[in-house]
Amino acid sequence: VIFANVSFAFDSVAQELLERRISIQATNQNINSVLSEIEKMVEVKFSYSPNLIRASRKITVTASNEKLSAVLEKLLTPQKLTYEIVGRQIILKRETTEKIQTGQLDLPNAFSPPLDQTITGTVTDENGSGLPGVSILVKGTQRGTTTDASGKYRLILSDNNEVLVFSFVGYLSQEITIGTQTTLNVSLKPDTKALDEIVVVGYGTQKKANLTGSVASIDQKFLANRPITNSSQALQGLSGVYVNMSKGRPGADGATIRIRGVGSFGTNNNPLILVDGVEYNLRDINPADIESITVLKDAASSAIYGNRAANGVVLVKTRGGEKGKFKVDYNMYAGYQEATTFPDAVSDAVQYMEGKNLALQNQGSPIEYSQAIIDEYKSGTDPYIYANTNWFDVMFRKAAQQEHNLRFSGGNDRTTFALSLGYLNQDGIMLGSGAKRYSINTNIASDVTKWLKIGGNIIANFWDYRESAYTADEGNGEGGLMGLIYRGLPMQVPLLADGSYADQWIRVPGHNFYRNPYALAFEGFRKNTNFSAIFNFFAEAQLAKNLRYRVTIAPNFGYDVEKYNNPVIDLKHPKTGAIAPMGNIPIRGVRQSLAEALSLTNFHTLNWNRTIGKSELTALGGFSLEMFKNGSFNAGNQGYFANEISELIAGSANPVVGGNSTQSRLMSYFGRINYVFNDKYLLETNFRYDGSSRFAPDKRWGFFPSISAGWRINEEEFMKNVKPISNLKLRASWGQLGSQPQQLFGFIEAVTSGINYNYNNTVVSGGAVTQIAEQNLTWETTTMTDIGLDFGLFNQRLTGEFDWFNKITSGILRQVNIPQQVGNLIGPVRNIGEVQNKGIEFTLNWRDKIGKLNYNLGGNLLQLSNNVLNTGGQRIFNGNRVIFEGSPIDSYFGLRSMGYFQNTDEIKAAPFQNTVTLPGDIRYVDVNGDNRVDNNDREIIGNTIPKYTYSFTFGADYKGIDFSAFFQGVQGLQNYVNANLGFPYRNGAGVTKEFLTESWTVNNPNAKYPRLTTANGYPQNFQVSDFWMRDASYLRLKNIQLGYTIPDKFTKKLGISRLRAFVNGQNLLTFADFTLGDPERNAANEGIIAYPIAKVVTGGLSVTF
Amino acid sequence: CSDFLDVSPSDRLIQVDFWKTRQHAEAALVGTYNALLNGNIYGGVAMIAMEAATPNAFTYNNTGGGGFIAQGIHDAANNGIINNKWGACYVGIGRANTLLSNIGGITMDETTKKRYTAEAKFLRALFYHDLWLYYGGVPLILETPNLEKQGTLPRNKADEVYAQIIKDCDEAVADLPQLGTTKGHAAKGAAFALKARTMLYKGDFQGAAAAAKQIIDGKSYTLFADYRELFQLDKEGNSEVIFDVQFKNPEFTHSMDITFTDFNSIAPLPDLLNDYYMTDGLPASQSKLFDPKKPYDNRDPRLNQTNILPSTTFRAKTVLANTFGFTGIGQKKYTVYKDNEDRATIAEGQSELNYMVFRYADVLLMFAEAQNEVAGPSQAVYDALNLIRKRAGMPNFPTGLTKEQMRAEIRHERRIELAGEGLYYHDIRRWGTAEKVMNTDIFNFAGGKIGTRKFNKDRDYLWPVPTVVLQNNTSLEQNPGYGK
Repeated sequence: VIFANVSFAFDSVAQELLERRISIQATNQNINSVLSEIEKMVEVKFSYSPNLIRASRKITVTASNEKLSAVLEKLLTPQKLTYEIVGRQIILKRETTEKIQTGQLDLPNAFSPPLDQTITGTVTDENGSGLPGVSILVKGTQRGTTTDASGKYRLILSDNNEVLVFSFVGYLSQEITIGTQTTLNVSLKPDTKALDEIVVVGYGTQKKANLTGSVASIDQKFLANRPITNSSQALQGLSGVYVNMSKGRPGADGATIRIRGVGSFGTNNNPLILVDGVEYNLRDINPADIESITVLKDAASSAIYGNRAANGVVLVKTRGGEKGKFKVDYNMYAGYQEATTFPDAVSDAVQYMEGKNLALQNQGSPIEYSQAIIDEYKSGTDPYIYANTNWFDVMFRKAAQQEHNLRFSGGNDRTTFALSLGYLNQDGIMLGSGAKRYSINTNIASDVTKWLKIGGNIIANFWDYRESAYTADEGNGEGGLMGLIYRGLPMQVPLLADGSYADQWIRVPGHNFYRNPYALAFEGFRKNTNFSAIFNFFAEAQLAKNLRYRVTIAPNFGYDVEKYNNPVIDLKHPKTGAIAPMGNIPIRGVRQSLAEALSLTNFHTLNWNRTIGKSELTALGGFSLEMFKNGSFNAGNQGYFANEISELIAGSANPVVGGNSTQSRLMSYFGRINYVFNDKYLLETNFRYDGSSRFAPDKRWGFFPSISAGWRINEEEFMKNVKPISNLKLRASWGQLGSQPQQLFGFIEAVTSGINYNYNNTVVSGGAVTQIAEQNLTWETTTMTDIGLDFGLFNQRLTGEFDWFNKITSGILRQVNIPQQVGNLIGPVRNIGEVQNKGIEFTLNWRDKIGKLNYNLGGNLLQLSNNVLNTGGQRIFNGNRVIFEGSPIDSYFGLRSMGYFQNTDEIKAAPFQNTVTLPGDIRYVDVNGDNRVDNNDREIIGNTIPKYTYSFTFGADYKGIDFSAFFQGVQGLQNYVNANLGFPYRNGAGVTKEFLTESWTVNNPNAKYPRLTTANGYPQNFQVSDFWMRDASYLRLKNIQLGYTIPDKFTKKLGISRLRAFVNGQNLLTFADFTLGDPERNAANEGIIAYPIAKVVTGGLSVTF
Repeated sequence: CSDFLDVSPSDRLIQVDFWKTRQHAEAALVGTYNALLNGNIYGGVAMIAMEAATPNAFTYNNTGGGGFIAQGIHDAANNGIINNKWGACYVGIGRANTLLSNIGGITMDETTKKRYTAEAKFLRALFYHDLWLYYGGVPLILETPNLEKQGTLPRNKADEVYAQIIKDCDEAVADLPQLGTTKGHAAKGAAFALKARTMLYKGDFQGAAAAAKQIIDGKSYTLFADYRELFQLDKEGNSEVIFDVQFKNPEFTHSMDITFTDFNSIAPLPDLLNDYYMTDGLPASQSKLFDPKKPYDNRDPRLNQTNILPSTTFRAKTVLANTFGFTGIGQKKYTVYKDNEDRATIAEGQSELNYMVFRYADVLLMFAEAQNEVAGPSQAVYDALNLIRKRAGMPNFPTGLTKEQMRAEIRHERRIELAGEGLYYHDIRRWGTAEKVMNTDIFNFAGGKIGTRKFNKDRDYLWPVPTVVLQNNTSLEQNPGYGK
C-alpha cells in the first residue's frame, strides 16, 4: 500500500524505544493505567484484547533505570502474559498461546450459550496475517471468545440475527451481522488515530501527534522495487518539495531538490542531506537501504540544524536490524529503458536540403544545395551515400537495467544487525554509456552493559560509469556526444557497407566537421569510478535522572577517479573511399583526475525528559564539530601511438598537471525544549549557535532560533462529541535559519597564484590580486513562518494537512559587481538582497475498503510564489535570465511579441523593428513607446520556478494483489530553448518537421512559426521574446506497480515466508506541450541536449526467507 | 577550541605576505603579462576577428563581434567584445599598477627592478592604447586598484590617456634592454613600436616617424625572408618579431587554426583579393597580366600566402568551391597548415601560434606613412617600402610619386601586407575611410550577395561604453550616438 504523504512509524524505531530505560513505581494500580503511563514515557503503543486483562486487576511494580523490555517482563510475567512486536505496537498476549482454547474466556461472568449454530473464521490484520487475541463479543451481551495464535476463532451462537463485535486495541472495531453464514473472516484495520506515529526529527524522533513543525516523509514501502538509480529521485511526491530530474545520464542522473522554493541567488539552494544524522550524498545511498526519508520544511523543524538548514533538511534513515529471527530478503528486478521524447527532426535528406535552400532564399542568402546535388540525391540508390539518417534512432537503444538486493538481518535481546548487498547494472540508452553500482550496508547495535549501548553503520558504495570520451553531457556545449546528435544531419551515415566509420561527402556550412557520433560512442572512453563510504559510530549512555547521552563520530570518504581516453578516429569517404582522421576533436591522449573528499562529523547530545502530572517536558542539548576536506589531482598526457593505450605513463607530449586542496569547518551548539500539557497544548523551541571558518573571526557566529506551538483541538472536551472529526491540530511556527557562502576564504585578502605566462615556450608562474575581500561578510538568514492544520475525518479515513508559509531570505550572500576600472577585480561577496517564497501546501489522503478491496487515494499540492525583494540595487543578468527586484529569481527577460507582420504596410506603420523586416516576421511590441524596438523594450516574460508542484497516488490491494500508481507534475513555468533543433537550421544543424510545415507563408498567415529562415542568418525572428517561451509544465505517471503476493500456504513449503512478484513502469505516460525532449527538465536550461530521461519497464521478485 | 575554526588557504599568499622578494615582483610581472592572453585582447581570435568589421572579411555568426559592428547593429550591450574589452584592459592596468605601486619597497637587484618597472609601464601603455583606440577617453588610473578611491572616477579626456601612453612608453624605453631578456618579454623596440603606432593613429606623424626610426636605426630587427614562413610555428620568434603574445599548447592556446580554415567564420572577401596587385606591381585594372578568366593568376604572392582560394592546393588537397562555405575563401595567415602537407586539424582551443603585436614590416610601413606625411616621399620612405616589396617578391614602388599618390600607395600596401592581422579596422577608422568602404553590399567568391554593411560616421568611429560599465559607475558618460 502506497501512501506518499503520511508519516509512518518505523519498526526499528519501536524496537529502539523498547530498549529505552525507564523508571517506574506503581503500587497496587490498575494494570492498564500502568501500561498507559509507560506509553507516555516511551513512545510505544500497547495493543491487547480488552478481555485479556481484567481492568480491575491490581499490580505492583518497581523499576529503576531498567530497559523497557525488562520492565515489561516484570509486569507481565505474573499475569501470565507475554508480548510480541507487530509492526509498531507491542501486542500483549497469553504466555503460551498454544494453550489458548477457543471459547476460553478471561471474563468473570462468561457462560456457555445453547448449542445452536457454530461459526468459525479468521481475523487478520491489514497485511493478511492472523491476529491473535482479538475479542469477539455478541453485541449487547457478555458472550464471546478470543482468537487463537493464528487468528482463528470458533463461536457457538443461538440466534443468527445477532451481531458480532470484533475488537482489538490498536485496531478499529467492526460489527458484523451473522445471517446464515457459518464462516466469517474479518480483516481489521489499524486505528491510525490510536497509533502514535513516530517521525524522525532533528537528533531524534517524535510522536507525530505532538509535532508542531512541518515535515513530510516517505518510507521504504513507497520506494520499494522502483527502478530508482539515484536516491535523490526518491523524493518526488513529497509535499512541498520540487524534485526535478533534469537528465538521465547514467551516474549523473541526480535530481535537483528544492524545498519550498528557491531562497537565494547567492549561495546554493540545495537542502542539507543527512544520512543517519551525518551530511552525505544521496547518490551514494542505495534506495533499497533507506528505511525512511523525512523532509523538514519549516524553520521549527529544521532550526536545530541552523547553519545549513535554510533550504530545508532531508533526513535519511537507513534500515537497521530487528530483534527476532534471522531473516533473508532478496529483491530483484530486471527490465528495459527507453527514451521518452525526442525532437521530431527531419530525416529525409532531400526535404532537409530543399528546406534549407528555402530558408536561405527567404533571408536573402545564396542557396547551399544546387539542383544538381538534390537531383543526384533523389535518383541515388546507394543508402550509404544517399542516406536519410535519423540520428536519434541510430544513437539510442532499448537498454537493459537490473538490480539485485540481498539483505540479512536479525538479532537477539542485546544485539541487532543487518547486512545488505546491492548491485545495479544500468546500460545507458545512449550507445556506449552505462553505470554499475555495488553497495554494502552494515548496521549493528548492541547493549554492552545495562546502561551503555553502542552501534555503528557502515555504508559503502562503488560506482562505475562508462561513456564516450566525448561525454554524453551537455556540459560540453555542442561538443558533447549529445550535442553532436542534435547536430546530426540526414545526409550523414554512421557506418559504411564495409563496417568502417563513415565520413560525410556533403559539407554543410556552419557544420564543417562531421564528428561521427557513432564512431565517438565506441572509440576511446570516459570512465569514472567513485568510491564512497561513511562510517557512523555511536555510543549511548543512560545516565542518572532520565538523562541520556549520545555521541556520534562519523568520518566519511569519497574518491572519484575520472579517466578520459581520447582517440584518433579514421573516417572513410563514402564516395572516394579516402581515409581522413576525424577533425575538431580533442588530441589523442589520456586525462586522469582524482577528487577526494574527507569529512568528519562529531556530535554529542544530551536528552532529558520528565512527566509531572499532566505536563511532559523533553529537552535536548548538543554540540557538534564538522570538518570538510576536499582535494583534487589531475594529469594529462598526449603523444600516443595507439588508441588502445590508455595509461598516462605511455604518452610523450604536452603533459599537464594540476591539483588543489581546501578545508572548511563548522562548530555548533544546539538545543531543543518540548513541552506538552494535557496532550492538548504543545510548545517547542529550538536554537542553534553556529560558527563557520568561512567568515572573519569576529563575524563567524550566527544564532538561529525557532519557536512553535500546537493545539490538538480534538482532545478538547467540546470536540469529543463531534464524531466525524477524529483529529484536528492547529500549529504555528517561526524561526530563522542560516546559509554560509560558497566561497571558503572570501574574507581573506589574498594574491591568487597560477596566473602564469609563457616566455619562449617555458611557463613561468605568476600571481595577481583578483578579488576584493570582504571582512564584514556574515550569515545569510532565512526567516520562515508556517501555519498549519492537520485533520482527520471519519475515523481517520480522510486525513489531510494544510500549511501556509512565508519564507524570507535576507542578507543574501552575493558577489557584487564593482566598476571595472578598479582593476576589473571580482567584486566581494556581500550580504545583499532579499527573496521571498510564499505559498501553501495541501495534502489529502483517503483510505478505506470495499469488501476485501483495500484502497487509498492521496494527493498533494504546493503553490509557490517566488519574489526577489531586493538585490542591493543591482540588476543581475544571467544570460537571457535576470534577477530583478519584483520578479521571481531567474526570470526570462525579453521582448513582447504580437503576431506576425502580414504585409509591408503593417511594417511601415509599426515602430521601427530592424533594418530588414519582411512580412512573416515576428512583430515586437515597442514597450517604452520610443517608436523603435530595441533592448530597452525588454520585460520579464517567463518564469523558471514552478508555480504549482503536485502529485497524487492511488493504491489498492485485493487478496494478495496489489496495485499502485503515482502521478507527479509541475505547472506554471516556461522555458526558452536556444539550441539546435529548437530553432531551424541553427549553426548548420538540422530542423524539426514543424518548421517546414508550420512556418508562415502568404497562404498560411496564422502559422505556428514565423517565415522559414535559418536561425543564424536571420536572428531577428529568434530574439528572446515571449514568442519562444515554451510551456514547461507537465504531468506524468511517474510510477505504476502491480504485484501479487503468493499465498503463504504455497510458499511455506519452500521455506519462503513471503514471495511477491511484480511489474513496474516508470515514466510511462507524460502529458506536456514541450516536445523537444523530455519535459521534466530544468526550465532555466536553454539547451535541449541533456541526456534523455527514460521510460523504464521492469519485472521482479521480492522473497523473504 | 575557537582555534578549530581558523583555517587558511594553502594555494595562495595572503597580501600582507606579498611584496617581499624579487620572486614576488617577478610573479606580479608575469601576472601582468598573463592579462594579454584574455580572449578580448589578444587571446582567442580577438584581434583578427576585427578583420570582419572591414572590407577584408566576413563572419556569418558574429565571431569575435566583428559581424555586428560591420552591420552597424552593435550597441552598448549586445556584443561580447565591446562589453568585455573594457574590463579586460583594466585587468592588465590594475596588475601593472599594483606592481608599479609596490615594487619600490622590495629589496632586490636595482637593474632587475628597473627592468620590471619598465616592462610594467610598457604593458600598462599597451592596455591603455586599446582602451583609447576603441573607446576614446577612459578613466586614467595609475595606482593600485582601490574601490573607494577609483570606483567613481569619470572618464578622462582621450588626449590625457594618449599623453600617459606616450609617457609610459618613453619611461619604459629608458630602462628596457635592447633585446628582450627572454623572447616574449618587452624590449626597447616594443616600447618604440607602441609609441610609433599610438602617435601615428593620433596623427602625430613627426613623433611616429621618429619613434619608428629609432627601431630602424637600432638594427635589431630585420624582415624575415619568407612572408608565409613568418607565420609558421617553427619560425616563431624570428628576427622580424618585435613583440608577440606567446601561446603554448596545452596551457595557453587559442582557436585561430580551426576558426579560419574549417569553420570559415572569419572569411576573406573578394574585395580584399581584388586589391592585390599583379606581379608587375600594377593594379589588375591597369595590368596587362590580368586575365578576367583567371583573375587571381599572376598576383602579388602574398595573395595566396594570406588567403586560400578555390582551385588552389591547401593541406595537400584541392580547394573546392564549397570548401569554405561562407565566402568561398579561407584565411591562411595565422594558421599552421601548409599547402602541400596534410595534417590533422588543430581542434578548437588547441592553437599555439604566437600573435605578433608588432613586427618589423609594420614598423617600416608606419615609418613610411608618417615620414611621407611629414616630408613627402623621400628616399627613406622608398627604402622602407621597397624592403617590404622585395621580401614579398614584388617590384619596387614606382618612383616619382607625389605625396598624395604615395599616401594612397602606402595605404594600399598596408592593407595587403597586414591583411588578416586585425589592423585594417584601425586604419580605415583613422583614415576616415570607413564610412565609405563600409556602407556597401558584400559578395562571395562566386559573386553572390551575402550581406549589407552599415557604418554610421557620426557614431561608429568609437565603440560604445558597455552598458554594464555605465551601470556600475554612473559618473561615466556614453560616447555620442549610443544609447545607454
